[in-house]
Amino acid sequence: MNTVLDADALLAVDVGTVNTRASLFDVVDGRYRLIATGRAPSTAGPPLFDISESVRMSLEKIQSITGRPLMDESDSLIIPVTNEGAGVDVFVSTTSAGPKVRTVLVGLMPGVSLQSVRRLASSAFLEIVGEIGLTDRRRDAERIDLIIAARPDLIIVAGGTDGGAVDSVLQMVETVGLAANLLPGGRQTRIVFAGNRHLGASVMEYFGERLPVTMTPNVRPSLRQEDLAPARMHLAEVIAEVRSSRVAGFDELETWSRGFLLPTADAFGRVIRYLSNIYGPDKGVLGIDLGASQTTVAAAFDGALRITVNSDLGMGASLPGLLKHGEIADITRWLPVEVPEYRVRDYICNKALQPGTVPAETEELYIEYALAREVIRLALGLARSEWPAGKDSSTLMLLPPLEPIVVSGGVLARAPRPAHALLTILDALQPTGISTLVLDPHNLTPALGVAAGPLPVLPVQVLESGSYASLGTVVAPVGSARFGRQILRVKLEREADGEDMTGEIRMGQLVVLPLAQGEKARLTLRPERGIDVGFGGPGQAGALRVAGGAIGLIIDARGRPIFMPKDPDRRRELNQKWLWDIGAME
Amino acid sequence: MRNFYIPPVTHVIPLTTIRRERVLPVPGAVTVRVNEKVQASHVVAEAETVPRHFFLDIVRGLGVSQQNVGRYIVRREGDRVDAGEVIAGPVGIARRTIRAPANGRIITISRGRVLFEARGELFALRAGFPGVVIATDGTRSVTIEATGALIQAVWGNGKQDYGVMRMVGEGPADRLKTDQLDVNLRSAVLVAGICDHPAPLHQATELSVRGVILGGLASDLIPVAQRLPYSIVVLEGFGERPINAPTFHLLSSNIGREVAIDGQQPRPYQLQRPEVIIPLPATRDIELPDEVIPLKLGVRVRVVRAPHQGEVGAVQSIIDQAVEYPSGIRAMSAKIELAGGNIVAVPVANLEVLQ
Repeated sequence: MNTVLDADALLAVDVGTVNTRASLFDVVDGRYRLIATGRAPSTAGPPLFDISESVRMSLEKIQSITGRPLMDESDSLIIPVTNEGAGVDVFVSTTSAGPKVRTVLVGLMPGVSLQSVRRLASSAFLEIVGEIGLTDRRRDAERIDLIIAARPDLIIVAGGTDGGAVDSVLQMVETVGLAANLLPGGRQTRIVFAGNRHLGASVMEYFGERLPVTMTPNVRPSLRQEDLAPARMHLAEVIAEVRSSRVAGFDELETWSRGFLLPTADAFGRVIRYLSNIYGPDKGVLGIDLGASQTTVAAAFDGALRITVNSDLGMGASLPGLLKHGEIADITRWLPVEVPEYRVRDYICNKALQPGTVPAETEELYIEYALAREVIRLALGLARSEWPAGKDSSTLMLLPPLEPIVVSGGVLARAPRPAHALLTILDALQPTGISTLVLDPHNLTPALGVAAGPLPVLPVQVLESGSYASLGTVVAPVGSARFGRQILRVKLEREADGEDMTGEIRMGQLVVLPLAQGEKARLTLRPERGIDVGFGGPGQAGALRVAGGAIGLIIDARGRPIFMPKDPDRRRELNQKWLWDIGAME
Repeated sequence: MRNFYIPPVTHVIPLTTIRRERVLPVPGAVTVRVNEKVQASHVVAEAETVPRHFFLDIVRGLGVSQQNVGRYIVRREGDRVDAGEVIAGPVGIARRTIRAPANGRIITISRGRVLFEARGELFALRAGFPGVVIATDGTRSVTIEATGALIQAVWGNGKQDYGVMRMVGEGPADRLKTDQLDVNLRSAVLVAGICDHPAPLHQATELSVRGVILGGLASDLIPVAQRLPYSIVVLEGFGERPINAPTFHLLSSNIGREVAIDGQQPRPYQLQRPEVIIPLPATRDIELPDEVIPLKLGVRVRVVRAPHQGEVGAVQSIIDQAVEYPSGIRAMSAKIELAGGNIVAVPVANLEVLQ
């Protein structure tokens, strides 16, 4: 135990598909601070197939930066902290590496339990290899064949409200039990039952002793109520069990973390929910984690979290999934230079084969960020269909007001300039009204999410400490106006010394007003009639206190959705202009 | 100090020991013995693929009550039955019976319903290359060993075959064209630089070629390649990617030999890759290739991204500080002396070891 303030030093490790990152936190001047981070290429895949090597590499980097020994002579983690100051008191871990968990979903009615179990599954890094419902017209024998052919690692069963349907649930359970016992080669599948909780004893009886079954609270306790959070926690544990049996080195991570090991997406979501509680109910909080094998979209409204993990949308092996959801033209429209479509397609396929590679040439960088825009845009579109009414894509075409928007992921964190990351996010998300864009350059969010378990005060203090990089405050007016027409008057009064600024914004402009990191200012916005900047409706003026960021204050008046010319030359010119305007080009 | 750079390894080796485990998708029967010599087309193990299931409703089928149904079922759980054999009955004057719908076995009998499993089709697992069986678990896996040249690829269309290797075109960057394909290439395994048009691939089908080894394949031809009846392996990647010099030299020097071409599709978290094996005799024991080779001075590497994509060189040094590239990206890098003598900085992430 650290003697200062009776606090614990905490080490967090996130094992991703491409990178493994370690973060060391300790108390400085009475508050938790990020001390150092270490990154190493993940070794979950070939040639080592053992995550412990990259975990140790990342710890060694922290050791070399801080001079603080973290491992002993036998390469084991020193825990707790010794009198000499070596080691840490608490170790936590998150992971998204390893093969996807093959999963079959089973429910009763399409719009009720099946929908809830789908939502539950979409919040984790799973590969859905089959789905069975009461109304799918399959016979029982065909359901058995489906499960056997799918060779699942996991079957999630839901159905029946608490005290509701019995016979149909048990019939489905019997079918699943028969199929699971018939999997060839003694392959063992795990079963999660998240249905009518009054059937617990019968369900256990049907599945028998041979099958490992996890009972969770009902995801649909009543027809009108959906409750995924408790089931999600149990599911995370089951996924960890599957992973530990398939990924070498995972056991050691479990031992070190003593139960504080979560899927990366779950830990990420915890922080977004926490921020939602802090920021209040007026706006939602959005988090995007752009990974190599998955993209996580976490949105919280008044403390209620909606999390979606898109395992076929990512910047690495899952990149070809992009072509299943959209067209190549959707990607090339974001390019500031001419690149033939076939070359973009080749790029996608090669990147999927070599996900850890980086773009050294400018053209490849442009392709990389065009892909990132589309991955985020598609992931957000899929996630929004599950957002609460009034915020979802079916009732609201544009994004609802969000504050803040937190983004992470290797591609964004390693952008040559913060402006590249900012423009990518602006183009992909197209936020409306006033939002703060925050980049998590060290991928701390999952670490903070899992650290909240053993040390609840740590994420609170680290979030306030400036370890995240504010890219800036974005004002995005919404409304239709002719290109070039004045739509907004802006006045920026700095709290510290410095020149105040006033100006007029015209439709189509992307304007950056310098406002340095940590600098505060009063921003007054007077939109023209029909233009909404988030002060209660079109034409409503208002003022607020804003903070600066790496880029400054950004007025994005390019329209919502952003207008893109059909002519390819004009479109490329426009993309180039935006890069200039935002400061990503010299 | 731990070596922080452990890049992927690609084997391009003129003579090595090749050991491969062949595994059935489901348990079955191994048909070879340890120390047995096998040919590429030799079936080394067999298994029934995914069987089909049927629920036979005895109560309804025989028109008897659920209480009495037990006395009419003449088979037990676990019994193997042939198609047409009686499972339940006869009942009544009409002597109604329930018969097995196919060859299979009875899985369960419960509440007057029989769960019947019909046997699936037989799946034959082939050796893939000539060698000697060195191990087997008796039910699912067979390990085969041979000596020869080994060339690993990055992509394959999922098919496997064996044939005499022939060169098409003049060099490692030559495009595969229809006018290069004639009857002399019938049943051969072709080596060509790049393919960016479906026509030569279809013409190769007409010639019943056994396989095509390419440097680069246009990515929009992936669906075409996956439908072809023969094996395709891609050595460098998608697009205009010529075969790298050492690999082209190795392939060229073995033209006319029989080769095994394995186009298994690469999967994340799997060591085995698409590959070409050229069986060659060895006069002495040769070690297995290394799977883990840390990046250090003198190690031979291949650059996998632009600029210098496909070029081969040797590590001259690991650079202490991150290097900034024209894209603006900063990355940990190594100095590489390329085959032509040029020394360039390359992000470590864009290198693979070529053994």
